[in-house]
Amino acid sequence: MSARPSEVDRRVRALQWAIAALAVVFIGGIVTWIAHLIRTAWRLGDVPSASIGISIVAIPVFLVLLGVIVSVFWGLLRDGGSR
Amino acid sequence: MAVPDATLERDAALFAPIARTGRGFYLTVAVLGLAILWGAIAYWTQFNEGLGVTGLQQPVSWGFYVTNFVFFIGISHAGTLISAILRLSRAEWRRPITRMAEVITVMVLFIGAGQILVDLGRPDRLFNVIRYGRYQSPLLWDATSISAYLTASMFYLYLPLIPDIAILRDRLGKRRFLYSVLAMGWTGTERQHRILNRAIAIMAVLVIPIAVSVHTVVSFVFSMTIQPAWHSSIFGPYFVAGAIFSGIAALIVAMAIVRRIYHLQAYLKPIHFRYLGHLLLVMTLLWFYLTFAEYLTGYYGNEPEEMKVFWSKFTGPFWPTFWAMLALNFVVPMAFLVNLRNHAVGKTVVASVAVVLGMWLERFNIVVPTLSNPRLPFPVTHYWPTWVEWGETAGSFGLFILLYVLFVKFFPIISIWEIQEGREAGLKDVEERLRTYLPDDTTPEPAHGRARVTT
Amino acid sequence: MALWGMVIDLDRCTGCQACVMACKAENNVPAVGAKEAARGRTISWMHVLVEESEERTRFLPRPCFQCDDPPCTKVCPVYATYRNPEGIVAQIYARCIGCRFCMAGCPYNAKYFNWRSYQQEAPGQNPDVSVRPKGVVEKCTFCHHRLQKARDRVRAERRELAPGDYVTACAEACPTRAITFGDLSDAGSDVAKLAKSPRAFRVGEELGTKPKVIYLSETEAHGRA
Repeated sequence: MSARPSEVDRRVRALQWAIAALAVVFIGGIVTWIAHLIRTAWRLGDVPSASIGISIVAIPVFLVLLGVIVSVFWGLLRDGGSR
Repeated sequence: MAVPDATLERDAALFAPIARTGRGFYLTVAVLGLAILWGAIAYWTQFNEGLGVTGLQQPVSWGFYVTNFVFFIGISHAGTLISAILRLSRAEWRRPITRMAEVITVMVLFIGAGQILVDLGRPDRLFNVIRYGRYQSPLLWDATSISAYLTASMFYLYLPLIPDIAILRDRLGKRRFLYSVLAMGWTGTERQHRILNRAIAIMAVLVIPIAVSVHTVVSFVFSMTIQPAWHSSIFGPYFVAGAIFSGIAALIVAMAIVRRIYHLQAYLKPIHFRYLGHLLLVMTLLWFYLTFAEYLTGYYGNEPEEMKVFWSKFTGPFWPTFWAMLALNFVVPMAFLVNLRNHAVGKTVVASVAVVLGMWLERFNIVVPTLSNPRLPFPVTHYWPTWVEWGETAGSFGLFILLYVLFVKFFPIISIWEIQEGREAGLKDVEERLRTYLPDDTTPEPAHGRARVTT
Repeated sequence: MALWGMVIDLDRCTGCQACVMACKAENNVPAVGAKEAARGRTISWMHVLVEESEERTRFLPRPCFQCDDPPCTKVCPVYATYRNPEGIVAQIYARCIGCRFCMAGCPYNAKYFNWRSYQQEAPGQNPDVSVRPKGVVEKCTFCHHRLQKARDRVRAERRELAPGDYVTACAEACPTRAITFGDLSDAGSDVAKLAKSPRAFRVGEELGTKPKVIYLSETEAHGRA
C-alpha cells in the first residue's frame, strides 16, 4: 500500500467522485423536472392536483434513492484506498 | 481483504466468460448484429417516411410498438420480484440467480422505454414531454415511474456488484483501470460490508413498490380511457401479475441459456429451476384466474360494445392469437410444470418459452382488438404488421440480448461473493434460523395437586 | 363567453357529402392518395357514417364533437390538444409528438394522423389554415380560423359578433341546410333552440363526454315526401 497516491490512483479517484456527482445530478435533475411540471400545471390551471398528488409520492422516492446511493458512495470513497 | 485464492480456484467457472473470449461470442454478436441491423434499417425507413411504413391505420393507431412496450416493461419485473423478494425472504437458493435477474431488468427497461420513442410520430419532439409534460396524462405517470424504476434497478444491480468488481480488479489482470474505478475503493472491510448491506436491504424494500407502480401505470394507459375491454378496474393487478409471470419465464430462459453456454451446471442446478418452476406454475394459475374473471364479467354483462371485442377475440378475426395465448400461457405450462421431479430444467424451459410467447400475444390481444372495434359504424379494417414492425421487434430483442451478452463479458453473471458468502455463512445462518422456528426448550414444572398424566 | 356547437338534422341529410368536400377544401385536408386510402389512412375531419339495415340507410355526418369533457385532452402528454374557453377542442400541430394517445382515447374516432408527409405548402390551399407535417394528429376545429377572421372583421367594423358572422364550412356548404352552427349559450340562436328539440340526441351521451354536436333524429317522413 503506497503512502502517496499514484497518478493512476488519483485519476481513478477523480472518476469515482465524478460518477457519484453524476448520480446526484441525475436524480436532482429528475426532481427538478417534476417540480417544473407542478409549476407549469399550477400556472396554467391544468389539473394541478394531478401533479401535486404524483409528486407527493414520486419526489420522496427519488430522494430516498439519492440518499441511498450518496451514503454508499460517500461511505466507500471517504475511506481512501482507491487501489 | 480480498478473497483467498483457493476459493477463487473453486469458482473459476464464474471468471471464465470474462477472462476468455471464444469464437462463440463473436458469432453470437454477429447474429445479434444482423437482427439489430434489420431493426436499424426498419427504423431509419420509418424515421424518413413516417409511421405510414407500418401497418397502422385508422382506427388501429397502436399496434406492434405499443405491444412491445408493454411486453418489455413486463419482462423487467424479472429482476425485482425475484431478486428483491427472495433476498428479503432470505431464501438461500436465490444466490446464483439474483444477478442474472437484475441484469435482465436493467437492460430490458432501456429497450422497453425505447419502444415508445420508436412509436412516436415526431421523435424529434421527445423533449416536449419534459418541457410541457402534463401529469393528468398516464404517459407522464409512465415516464416518472419508469425513471424511478430504471434508477432504482440500476442501483440495485450495481450495489451487490461492487464486491465482485473488486475481485476482478484484484484478480483478473485485465481492464484493471475500469474495474478500479467501478469498485469505488472497495476493500471488504467490516464497515464497508455494513454500509453496503444496509443499502441493499433498503433498495430491496424500495424497489418492490416501485416495480408494482410501473406496470400498474402502464396498464393505466389503457384503463384510463373509456374504450370497451380497456376501461376495466382489473387492469392494474392484471398487468402486474402478467409482468411477474413473463418476468419469471424470461429469467428461466436466460438461466438455461447462460448455464448451457458457460457450463455453469454446478451453480444453476435443477433445484433452482424446480423452485422457479413452482413459482411459474403459481403465476400461471393466477394469470388464468384473472383472465377468467375479466372475460366472465364481460360476457355476463353482455354490453354490446364489450361483446363486439369479446367475440372478435373468441371467434372473430383475432381467434388465432387469442387461443394461442391461452394454450401457451395456461395449457402448456400446466402440462409441463405440475411434475418437476425429473427433467426440471427441460420442462421449465419449455414452459417458459411458451409463456414468453404467450404473454407477447396477450399484450397484442389487449391492444389491437379493442382498437379494431370502434363504437361508431366505420368500415371494417384489418391490421397487418409490415416488415418494418417485424424488423423493429427483431432489432429490439437483438439489442436486449446483445446488452446482456456484453454484461456477461465484463462482469460475473453469478455473484461470486454471494456464492462464497452462502458457503461460509449461509449454512450456519439457516441452521440458526431453523432453530428459532422450533419450540423452545422448557423443563416441565412438577404438577402439585394438578391432574397428573399417567404414562 | 360563447359556447360553439352544432345541430345536425338527420331528417335533412341526404348523404351527399358536400360537407366532407367543403371541409377538406377549407382546412387543407390532404388527399392521401389511392394507395394510402386502401391502407385505411384517409383523413376526413367530417366523415359521413353509413348504417345500412333492411328498412333503411342512415347517414350520420360526424365532425369532431368538441366535447365539453373530452377524453382526448385528458391523456395528451404535452398540451397539444386542449379545450379552449369557448368550447372548441384545439389541436396544436407544432407541439404534438404523435404519440396517438388522444386517438386511442376518442370514442368517436374523430382524430386523424398524418402517417406520411401527405402534402407540402402549395398554391391553391387555404392560406388561413396551417398545412400539417407528418407525424402529428389533426381533427375538426369547427373552422376556428373563420372565427378569428370574423372577430377581426367585426372589430374593424366596430360591432359585436352576430349570428351568421362565423359559420363552419360544412354548415355553409350543406345543400339541404341540415347543419346549423352557432353559439349554444345564446338562448336566442337557432342552434340553442334546435338543441332543445324533442328530437334532439347526442351520440355516446352515456359516456359522459358531453358532446356539443347534437343530432335531430329522423321523423316518420324520412326518405319519403
